[in-house]
Amino acid sequence: MGKIAVRDLSFSYGQRLALADVSIDIEEREVTALIGPSGCGKSTFLRCLNRMNDTIAGARPRGSVCIDGKDIYSGGTDVVELRKRVGMVFQRPNPFPQTIFDNVAFGPRVLGTHRGGALREVVEKSLRSADLWDEVKDSLRGDALSLSLGQQQRLCIARVVAVVPEVILMDEPCSALDPIGTLRVEELMRTLKEKYTIVIVTHNMQQAARVSDRTGFFWLNDQKAGILAEFGATEQIFTSPRDQRTEDYITGRSG
Amino acid sequence: MPREKFEHDLQRLKDEILALGAMAERAVAESVQALKKRDIAKARMIMEDDRLINERRYAIENETLTLIATQQPMAGDLRILAAIFEIATELERIADYAKGISNVTLMLGEEPLIKPLDDVPRMSDKACDMLHRALDSFMREDVEEARSIPPEDSEVDALYEKTYRELIACIMADPRTTEQANRLTWVAHNLERVADRVGNICERVVFSITGQGEELDGPLPR
Repeated sequence: MGKIAVRDLSFSYGQRLALADVSIDIEEREVTALIGPSGCGKSTFLRCLNRMNDTIAGARPRGSVCIDGKDIYSGGTDVVELRKRVGMVFQRPNPFPQTIFDNVAFGPRVLGTHRGGALREVVEKSLRSADLWDEVKDSLRGDALSLSLGQQQRLCIARVVAVVPEVILMDEPCSALDPIGTLRVEELMRTLKEKYTIVIVTHNMQQAARVSDRTGFFWLNDQKAGILAEFGATEQIFTSPRDQRTEDYITGRSG
Repeated sequence: MPREKFEHDLQRLKDEILALGAMAERAVAESVQALKKRDIAKARMIMEDDRLINERRYAIENETLTLIATQQPMAGDLRILAAIFEIATELERIADYAKGISNVTLMLGEEPLIKPLDDVPRMSDKACDMLHRALDSFMREDVEEARSIPPEDSEVDALYEKTYRELIACIMADPRTTEQANRLTWVAHNLERVADRVGNICERVVFSITGQGEELDGPLPR
């Protein structure tokens, strides 16, 4: 069983079934990439892993999502604590309209760290982890929104890292970035996985091939619900997929 | 149609492989005919034309690399391109064997043959037939056909063994035949290697279709 063990997870938005019976084991300290055409439930699935879908009216999950053996959908789960353990980075960088320092210090402050020295330490450590420290160390009091998009996205990663999560979810984290910004985030993922379990949704198959250890391919079943059609080692998925649907998708013949 | 340009370029590369294969096959067949007919001019021409085969191989390699770099193929497409790369190399080497045989024809000159050449043309016919069908299996993506060819290598091996023994017998009967017998052994050896390389091509064809590496060796020599 992996760090995250998902069993028979189905998810509906009202009457519409968005995900059907997804089972997957996500291994600790690996990068797991989720690929597939738009609308096949990848992001829905990702958001199930830290219950970000809870806020959507009419959203209904079934099945189980266990992190370290405990079902996060069972009663008594502290959702705030869960989202501290399972952080998220979004498609467009979304720094708060505050200083660079305050963006990174936000989480630790909420969690009770207020001492200046300790905060400075955690901000520096997080910015170093996100490969941003050297670029911003002299402008920590500058506006986060004045950074380039690539820097903003790394700031958002630093903000996640600052609360010391176990899992980082990334929903198309490079789609708004230029090739250099993209490569820096990809390099960052390689170092972050030494400490964290990373799950990334990406439309860029080359990116999935470059950064991930395992790849899951999502597809739609006859009822138009998302399913996990194939899951395996990234080398295998991109050189010899076993499922014809995977082959057709990654060779650009469907989807 | 999705990926029209890629499909078009891939088909063109496969056609190029077929053309290179035809050149290599003809070089092998004609090198043996030239040896049998003692046609020195023909042998010289085959040696000169080897350059064209080498150039064509490098052109295929370049186009394959370009297609990989510009189209980022995955899965089956990537395996076919890897196979094209390997097959082009095998074909170029096969043509080198024809060049080696032609070189023997030049070295023998007008010298009378120490024995009639019967099995050497048989080896050539068999190896060329195997090569032809191997490339056909590649074009048609026929995995069963590709698997069925390498075991036939044992026929070529048996003919090589027979030719080798006969040439050793010639040397033992008359040591003055040693030099020519050596050279003719070399010819038979080259043909035996052509068939081996056809086996390699078949393995690439199977891998490109199934994604599974398979050893397709014929039975081990006794």
